[in-house]
Amino acid sequence: MAKLKFRRAATRTYETVYIFDSALDDAVIAEKLEKFHALLALAEPATNEHWGRRALAYKIGRHDNGYYVISHFTTAPKQLPEFERALKLDDSVVRYLVSLHEHDLGAPKLTEEQLAARRRDDDDDEDED
Amino acid sequence: MRRPKKPSPIVEAGIRYVDYKDDRLLARFITDYGKILPSRLSGVHARHQRQLSKAIKKARFLALLPYVKGQQA
Repeated sequence: MAKLKFRRAATRTYETVYIFDSALDDAVIAEKLEKFHALLALAEPATNEHWGRRALAYKIGRHDNGYYVISHFTTAPKQLPEFERALKLDDSVVRYLVSLHEHDLGAPKLTEEQLAARRRDDDDDEDED
Repeated sequence: MRRPKKPSPIVEAGIRYVDYKDDRLLARFITDYGKILPSRLSGVHARHQRQLSKAIKKARFLALLPYVKGQQA
């Protein structure tokens, strides 16, 4: 049989949300992130967005707070099992979620002009009160 | 007689794909007890309701939204 012509791209883009123990130092968290991302054999470094410490909506074990980090990276799917295993075994990771990032999420970022217009609208609303 | 169409809050906000990390948006689509609001009440299009329900479930897992709300601790 002829080989299938269409093949999935060798790499895919993922988004990972980590919830770290909020008692950890910021430097330790950055170090751990680097260690995890080293397992992925990334062609280009992952982009990390630090939300910082925030309250959890419900208690997870003994944790009331967590340190949230969102990472984006492109890697081959076969790298993921080892990566997830490391996350699972690490006690400082309270929870994590790896998902495919194939859509632009949310609303597009507003331009300066639109932001100004919105601010003007907000001011109008305040006057009415 | 047909009721006039409700505007969809997701379309109005200019959202391309519902973001599971936007807990302030998702909080508008859950009830006081934390259940997912039916689209007949929120006026969300079917496509966005499907995205919403997945997003809310992910947000719950990440402790951005509660599974059960309004319960005495």
